[in-house]
Amino acid sequence: MAFSRNLDPRTGLFLRWPVLAAVLVALPFIGLTGYELHLLIVSAIFVILSSSLSLIMGYGGLLSLAHAAFFGIGAYTSALLFMNFKFSMWVGLPAAGIVSAIAAICVGSLFLKVRGHRFVITSLAFVEIMRLIAVNAVDLTRGQMGLPGIAAPVITIPGVGTIDFASKTAFYFLAVGGAAICVWTVARIVHSPIGWGLLALRENENLGESVGVSAFRHAMIAFVVGAFFAGIAGSLYAHYTGFVSPDLFFFSYTVTMLVMVVIGGKATILGPIVGAIAFTFLPEYLRVVAQYRLVLVGVVLLATVLAFPNGIVELWSRWLRPAFLRLRSRDHAA
Amino acid sequence: MLDLLPQFVFNGLLIGMSYALVAIGMTMIFGIMNIANFAHGEFYMLGGCITYFIAAKLNAPYLVAVPVSVAVVTGLGFLLERVVFRQLRLKSAMSSVLATIGLGLILQNGALIFFGPQPQAIPTSFSAFPLQLGPIFTTEARLFAVAVTAATLVLMYVFLNHTLYGTAMRATFQQTEAAALVAIPIDRMRGITFALGAGLAALGGALLGAIFFVQPAMGATESLKAFIVVILGGLGSIPGSIVGGIFLGVAESLGTVVSSAYKDAIGFVLVIIIMLYRPDGLFKKS
Repeated sequence: MAFSRNLDPRTGLFLRWPVLAAVLVALPFIGLTGYELHLLIVSAIFVILSSSLSLIMGYGGLLSLAHAAFFGIGAYTSALLFMNFKFSMWVGLPAAGIVSAIAAICVGSLFLKVRGHRFVITSLAFVEIMRLIAVNAVDLTRGQMGLPGIAAPVITIPGVGTIDFASKTAFYFLAVGGAAICVWTVARIVHSPIGWGLLALRENENLGESVGVSAFRHAMIAFVVGAFFAGIAGSLYAHYTGFVSPDLFFFSYTVTMLVMVVIGGKATILGPIVGAIAFTFLPEYLRVVAQYRLVLVGVVLLATVLAFPNGIVELWSRWLRPAFLRLRSRDHAA
Repeated sequence: MLDLLPQFVFNGLLIGMSYALVAIGMTMIFGIMNIANFAHGEFYMLGGCITYFIAAKLNAPYLVAVPVSVAVVTGLGFLLERVVFRQLRLKSAMSSVLATIGLGLILQNGALIFFGPQPQAIPTSFSAFPLQLGPIFTTEARLFAVAVTAATLVLMYVFLNHTLYGTAMRATFQQTEAAALVAIPIDRMRGITFALGAGLAALGGALLGAIFFVQPAMGATESLKAFIVVILGGLGSIPGSIVGGIFLGVAESLGTVVSSAYKDAIGFVLVIIIMLYRPDGLFKKS
């Protein structure tokens, strides 16, 4: 299949899977500091969030501001299962995904009937309601105090020994594995009849419906799959940081995810990955200019929307790569 | 409890009128440009912060600081319409929402750099002693805010209904193409609408800032509240947003008596229900 060789035909980036996998496996062992490894883990969690959001907003054309809600629902599901029933992440992780997906089915069956501004605003109201529940249902969530002490899982493989995922190196593989499964699933959906349907509906919903592509059903699939992975990301986050609080539902989380998707490139596979990594690492290394950081993010977001609606990945595929190829062909000719 | 009722209604009215000031601009921008402006609350914040800056740092009297800061933000609104929003006119809802989120980030964090994160009180010459009007306890600053807001709303009404510009603006609001056909300068109308909306929000911030505190983070909450109000009143309806603002303010004030924990959630639940089932707002006859 074509896309097993090319990560994304539109960007034309030719990524050989074994090479990429080898690099990802080698990364923790090339002498990175604990801090850099931490940033890689956070990047991987954000890759899950941005790739799944890109499925909804990039391919589905639905600007959902509710993605942070499913992230938070997943984190709380995992945390509560651990705190109340001592279930480890091996139960919490799938449970978080499933609970988020069920929540998405419930709200989706109402929200996905409307489009445009009405959908944007309802999704925003939903995440605010979830935040208020997390703050006020003190008996369940301990409100603003949050839920601390969520342990990372431990796995015992007979003959190999015990792996404690409290170690950053071990958790790195867990997070990167999760990110890889998410990106792969999103890519599979995008390059399937469901993905083609989504694109058709995004470009012209009436026309799509008239040839028998159900807008509601397709939007629902994107929304629920996206929410499932947001829940998975939430569970990983909860077990990695060991702490969840209502802050997970803050608008700033939503904005972070949006920025990663939009600046990376919203209807591409690679864009959200690049965006997630860039916007995890850049803010950390821009600490020198800490106070200007968010202003800068705002400027870049605004500029991207106005000038490069398809993100920085397009910058590569439209200008840099052709320039690069021209340069190379000139070298060959010479 | 019941004897406190007028007090709660008065407090709610005060907050509600400020919601209305922000919501009018937001609803006008939506009506005339089809943009849900997530950055609109930032004009409210800037109005408050600039008033604080002029009154506290430049030692100007409060009554001078308010009109100056409103004028500054009005100018900024006019400029932003030219530079940013004009480009967004033909873009999708997604692009325009994302752009206004970016603009909100810039304005909020720019203000954070300039004014610092601490909540500040705007110094005024009003007496801090409470006044008693029948069953209601209030202060001079609160009375001033209510009076100025009420006067502004009346002026807005007169402007929209009894002046040439106001009529042209309403025409653009209702049917842009038809308005253009009768030689109404659409671009200029959009500029004026945007500047006016920004100025009204700034006035709200300058007035309420003298009663509560001002800080750069206050704009984001105000945007959310204004969204609720705009939706309660019907997207694009100016009278709706005034009634919606006062309705939300009073409902929140009374809601504090019933359950303070979930009072904010009521607004958002209403928003979802209205967006899904009554997109023209609560008050419009179907």
